[in-house]
Amino acid sequence: MALNLTRRAILQGAAALPFVAVARAGDWAAIEGAAKGQNVYFNAWAGSETINAYIQWAADEVMRRYGVTLTHVKITDAAEVVRRVRDEVAAGKSGGSTDLVWINGENFRAMKQGKLLFGPFAESLPNFKFVDVEGKPTVLRDFTEPVEGLESPWGMAQLTFFGDGAKVSKPPASMPELLDFARSHPGRVTYPAPPDFHGTTFLKQVLLETAADPATLGVETTADAFKALSEPAFAFLDQLHPYLWREGKQFPPSQAQLTQMLADGEVLIAITFNPNEPANLVASGRLPASTIAWQHAKGTIGNTHFVAIPINARAKEGAQVVANFLLSPEAQIRKEHLDVWGDPTVLAAAKLPAAFAAELTTSLAPGSVTAPAPALTEPHASIVPLIEAAWIERYGA
Amino acid sequence: MRLGAAGTLPLIVLWALPLLAAVLTALALAGSGAAWSGFLHHPQAAGGMFLAVWTGTAATVMALGLAVVMAMALHGTALWHRMPLLSGAALAIPHLAFAIGFGFLIMPSGVLARLIAGGDAPPNWVTTQDPLGFSLTAVLVLKETPFLLLMLWGVMAQGDAARAFDGQIKAARSLGHAMGSVWLRVLLPRVLRRMLWPIIVVWVYGVTVVDLALVIGPTQPPTVAAVIWADLNDVEAAVNRRGVAGAVALIVALAGIAALAWGFAKLVTPALRRCLARGPSALVSLVKPGRVVSVLVVAIYAAVLLILILLSVTPRWPYPALLGQGVGISSWRQLAAAPVLLSIGIAAGTAITALTLIVLWFESVAQRRDRLLLALAIMALALPAVTIAAGQYHLLLRLGLTGTVPGLFLVHLTPVLAYGFTVLSGPYRSFDARFVAAGRALGASRWRVWREVKAPLLRAPMLTALAVGFSVSLVQYAPAQLAAAGRYSTLPMEAVTLASGGNRSLTAAYALALALPALLAFALSAAFGRPRWR
Repeated sequence: MALNLTRRAILQGAAALPFVAVARAGDWAAIEGAAKGQNVYFNAWAGSETINAYIQWAADEVMRRYGVTLTHVKITDAAEVVRRVRDEVAAGKSGGSTDLVWINGENFRAMKQGKLLFGPFAESLPNFKFVDVEGKPTVLRDFTEPVEGLESPWGMAQLTFFGDGAKVSKPPASMPELLDFARSHPGRVTYPAPPDFHGTTFLKQVLLETAADPATLGVETTADAFKALSEPAFAFLDQLHPYLWREGKQFPPSQAQLTQMLADGEVLIAITFNPNEPANLVASGRLPASTIAWQHAKGTIGNTHFVAIPINARAKEGAQVVANFLLSPEAQIRKEHLDVWGDPTVLAAAKLPAAFAAELTTSLAPGSVTAPAPALTEPHASIVPLIEAAWIERYGA
Repeated sequence: MRLGAAGTLPLIVLWALPLLAAVLTALALAGSGAAWSGFLHHPQAAGGMFLAVWTGTAATVMALGLAVVMAMALHGTALWHRMPLLSGAALAIPHLAFAIGFGFLIMPSGVLARLIAGGDAPPNWVTTQDPLGFSLTAVLVLKETPFLLLMLWGVMAQGDAARAFDGQIKAARSLGHAMGSVWLRVLLPRVLRRMLWPIIVVWVYGVTVVDLALVIGPTQPPTVAAVIWADLNDVEAAVNRRGVAGAVALIVALAGIAALAWGFAKLVTPALRRCLARGPSALVSLVKPGRVVSVLVVAIYAAVLLILILLSVTPRWPYPALLGQGVGISSWRQLAAAPVLLSIGIAAGTAITALTLIVLWFESVAQRRDRLLLALAIMALALPAVTIAAGQYHLLLRLGLTGTVPGLFLVHLTPVLAYGFTVLSGPYRSFDARFVAAGRALGASRWRVWREVKAPLLRAPMLTALAVGFSVSLVQYAPAQLAAAGRYSTLPMEAVTLASGGNRSLTAAYALALALPALLAFALSAAFGRPRWR
């Protein structure tokens, strides 16, 4: 571990040397100059019309302002892009298919470890100075993995529960309360089956809430250590499962399906990583206006999502210009509007010019989280494969 | 047309070699011992394998049974001659779209529950994602019955074969066989033998299907195809390899079961022959059950189509409302930007290319060589689409064809030609060679005999193959997604990415948009495929 850190520090230092020069204002002008006329292929999950519309707006803006063509490549999962870039690099293809990718968590970690990322570039983007690095530490540590300037923060996320306020009068504010709720509403609660991203996050939330000392979850963990560490979590799940949908013998395969089940009235609670998604679903007419959203009182897992540039990108300058635009106060404020996307900003209001800061106040709408809870740090990334395997071992067959 | 081996070249170069290379590439990815032991120790491997084989096999047996019973009821009626249109309408609805519509019919918060159970909250029915996969089996049965019925019709109703079968029916009737006995002893043995490959394709599809299993299949464990799919989509390269190992294991299992079935068939054939040869009987044909089944199947399809249309204009439809709350065309509006032309262009191009290559092959080599090609075609349809897709992708990457239209064209051609070949080989190869001999004896060139005698007689099955190929091309997702490398977007790519957001209304709209061009293709094939003399 110590050796790793040292090596990383050296690499970082070495990489930063030429970079300091690039970061000067004059050089940013050079990057903007080179970006003009470039076509940036932005690979981004496209399961939401509102997000797609926002990206289209950004495309129009960067064309108008910088002469950069932004093409939204619609994908279902960023892992697709990781595999594609890995294959392209292995095949020695220099002009890769991806210039910018929407990414975080294990996908980022895989790309970083595979040396598939261009950079560091993020911290030298002119708009990075607005980023709330003090208040939102996850903009520098992505699922505990140091970002090191290899991806530029785009938006914030926090595990959030939602349901119909007319049916859920007292939303459960902790795992024990969720168990009570499931007991009194048998068959009306469930969560997506891991390795669905949201299902795994639910498990991590259970881990954090049941652990005697949550700090033990923040470090690299071995399979043996994990056994003892996860005992209370699985004891809790054993208690919870008999009261779940289909008595915990079947689970919806995805968060999307869970949301649909909530809309149909088959379950009472769904989960999301975007605190504003429920309000968004109300706005688009897919959920009733009586929808409420909440977080567990002592906090829920929070993280940041980013954009990164693959090492074999053709339009590296164009990609940086787009990343910088996505960080601009204007783009971030627009993104946070509930009727646009509702994705929380990564910027700090205090760092913004006064005119922008005023616009960055959270607006409330039907379906909004009314009492935000603190964001908890993700457990260490090494825990993810362990808990997924253990869950499938216990409940998967 | 005397072409000799040269006529086989285009097919070999454009289809067989790329396919073989893709499969070998995919297999090479699975070549590690760790991947194999990883898959064999996967807690969901054994249960998932059982579920996949059980649902796929049960669905094939039932779909075949239903297709035969429906044929008994429809044979000789006016509807029989409309079969390409009838079956085509059913085939045109993409599997996934059908599963979504059917799911909304039977699920606990679905239409039937609202009609029967009522109440404020959905009943605790275990109708979708049931542990034994009955709902998945039901979708497969309903979706494959029209395909098998169309294949059955293709064997029986095609030009000269129709008259041969009519003669056999008359002969058997005059020997004292009732119609049921005629079907059992005379028609089915001949028909089913020629339907062997389509039946195998249906079986393999049922066992290996991923998207249906994810939407309506069991989850703990899911079918092995869904387990493999999850592995192949993982971000870790080691887990990807475990998925490829799983895909190979699935093929081995399929081959083993097929061998067992073949051995069993050999064993019982003598006894079966004796039974079939036993004189005439008064066994009646299953016309009435056939009519009931036909009406039921049509009713379910109509219900599913109606549900899809309603879903596509209904943003919200909570239990227990019998109709959705509010009407919105936002889903349809988003379709305006859909890449319809590219998809239709590729579909038409690959379908026509595939038919040309197949006919060239048939006219160039003897029938016994078909086996090789059929084995390849089965392999193309048997391997999980995503495995082939991965192999193709690596191949295209090396050739510098990812993100190009030729690359997209090639990956679409693979399944289109495979389907075309299995659909056409029965009717084409059973063509009465005496027609050709007569034409040649009258001094016509081979080309002229083909153009003026053979092609017109085989027009219906050839047009059916075109329509099937067209609709198969339209719904290709995994291979297209990989080969396009983000440079091109086809209809299913748009549909699947949007569906990943779980917007059922939008998914329904896309499903209908995918069904329309395919439906049109089947309608055209039916309109132009009617024999001249009728």
